[in-house]
Amino acid sequence: MAQTNDEQLLSNVFDVGVERLKLIGNHAQVLMQGYLSGGIEASALSEQALKKLINARVIYQPDDSHELKLRHPVTQLIAALVTDESRRQVNADIADKLQSIRGFVQGFREAQRSGDVIRADNQLQRTEEAVYDLTSQFEEAIFSLWHRLNSNFGFVSNLSDKIRENSRAQQQIRRLIEGLSLIDFDELIELAEGNPTLRKLLVTKLQAQINGHHGSLLEVQKRLVELMTRFREQQERSLLVTRMAGFLREHPGFTVGDYAYRSRVPTLINQATAIIPAAAVALDRRDQHTDIASMVHGLYKELAIRAKTNDADSNTQAVDNREQQQAVEARQQQLKHDAMQYFIAVCDSEAPLSALDYLYQQSLEWPAEAWLFQVIGEYNSLPRHEQKLFNIERSEQPLSRYNQVIVIEDITLSFNT
Amino acid sequence: MISPVYGPLIEKLLAGEFICAITDEAHFTKLQDEQTRDNIDAYLKPLNRRLAANDEGSVYFLAYRDLDDDARERLKQQLSVVMGSMLPLLEWLTYIQEAMGSDGILTAGDTLKLQELTVKTEDNPSLRQRLQSLANDRFFNSQSDAVDGQAKQVAKRLVEHGYLLQPHTNRLYFIVTGKIDFLLELVRFIKDEENIPLDETTSQAELL
Repeated sequence: MAQTNDEQLLSNVFDVGVERLKLIGNHAQVLMQGYLSGGIEASALSEQALKKLINARVIYQPDDSHELKLRHPVTQLIAALVTDESRRQVNADIADKLQSIRGFVQGFREAQRSGDVIRADNQLQRTEEAVYDLTSQFEEAIFSLWHRLNSNFGFVSNLSDKIRENSRAQQQIRRLIEGLSLIDFDELIELAEGNPTLRKLLVTKLQAQINGHHGSLLEVQKRLVELMTRFREQQERSLLVTRMAGFLREHPGFTVGDYAYRSRVPTLINQATAIIPAAAVALDRRDQHTDIASMVHGLYKELAIRAKTNDADSNTQAVDNREQQQAVEARQQQLKHDAMQYFIAVCDSEAPLSALDYLYQQSLEWPAEAWLFQVIGEYNSLPRHEQKLFNIERSEQPLSRYNQVIVIEDITLSFNT
Repeated sequence: MISPVYGPLIEKLLAGEFICAITDEAHFTKLQDEQTRDNIDAYLKPLNRRLAANDEGSVYFLAYRDLDDDARERLKQQLSVVMGSMLPLLEWLTYIQEAMGSDGILTAGDTLKLQELTVKTEDNPSLRQRLQSLANDRFFNSQSDAVDGQAKQVAKRLVEHGYLLQPHTNRLYFIVTGKIDFLLELVRFIKDEENIPLDETTSQAELL
């Protein structure tokens, strides 16, 4: 009778489990979205699916809002599956697990005494599960701790968060180690008394595993402390640099003490100035003469090559110079020619003709000053009898009231007929 | 007698170079040996030099053996040069930390890719401004208006001063040398020596 009941129960559990795991699978995307964003919009699911998920205790509606949340065990399942260390929780409650192991062993003994083999088997299986549960809890925690350590606490972004996470991890380790100390092997030996299966399960196997876990935890702890030291050093360096920079910015005239004149000069300050060890060719060693001779030959070759390239350089430079000079001469000729044209224009004109007016009328490119200078020069270079043919009139005035330098502003020429 | 294999090492030291595991691993390893250090010290004695190291022993350099007035005067001048370059160097360190979004200040052995730094700086106006003001500082002395040119000039000056090492002249990646640790030790020393109240500003720095 009991057997059929148990079987029925098991098949029932099996069916429900499969159905609900499928349910989670069917809505994997929505659930994952909810895991990441913290909530699921009711509109993302059909009404039927919503009802099913709530009944299966996968999600719940915290208040009257339309937002749904994942239940804690589901969140934890996902966190463990994707090793999301920011969400994963380490369960360090050992006492409860030990209590259930004691309970199952007692149940097993009672069933054995009453000769109920099936119930005894059942209770033994439960004991096995509870032991596995206990060790896997440590395994899971240790895996999570190593993962956090190896990723350098990369799941949080800044240094002070990393320091906080690290100290949280260290506290978890302390609690786990405390939990391990709750496992009293004398008690377990007593519990397993006279039953080889129980003995193997509760004493031999468990002891080996717990020892392994204990070792791992101590190793992780050591590494966490090392990492914490490094974090703290980094933090100290960061603060030192930013604060000193701030201080120097605020105190531009800051000077340090006269460290160099102290009786004990600080090590960091005592940096000797450089000495460059120079060496030159010396002829006092006969055995080195051949080496020096070959060096000198090499040098000659190098000098010859350099001289050639220099020659080539200066040649191109000379060509450049000549071109430049030609260009200047051409412009000079043009200016002279334009000035002569102006004189001819004056001869043709009946009225006096201003040099600047002519410059603008002909839209010549010369600067006014150079133009006037050229016109005066041309006039002065005419033979005296030809000069007499022209009337030259300077419009000029002093630079300022106080500076008597006279500036010629324009020149007007007229032809004496 | 000193072995001739130390010739290049002594020459580097005399030239004022800092020898660390990054700049010159082979020689740095040799300097770990006490006998070698004693030999070099004995050799340098007539030059009024001795081998010195920072507190951590991560960087070796030469110090004066006897501090006569001449030596003290030179140390004083040198210190004032160092103090003049301290702020731009510290600002550079915080700029790099912010640009690379890293947890800590650069430390010996860290690598720095100029290309990556330039891209990050170009995308961020505040970083651009910081690089600009760094580059205009007399210590870095850049004439360029472009991020690329400024970053190159800053890196060039840091290589000249021995804070960065450029393993390949035609490739723009750099390794931080042990001299950075030396600089930070010096900063820490000055903070303690001058009683600079850097710790009181905690709350202010955290607010920022």
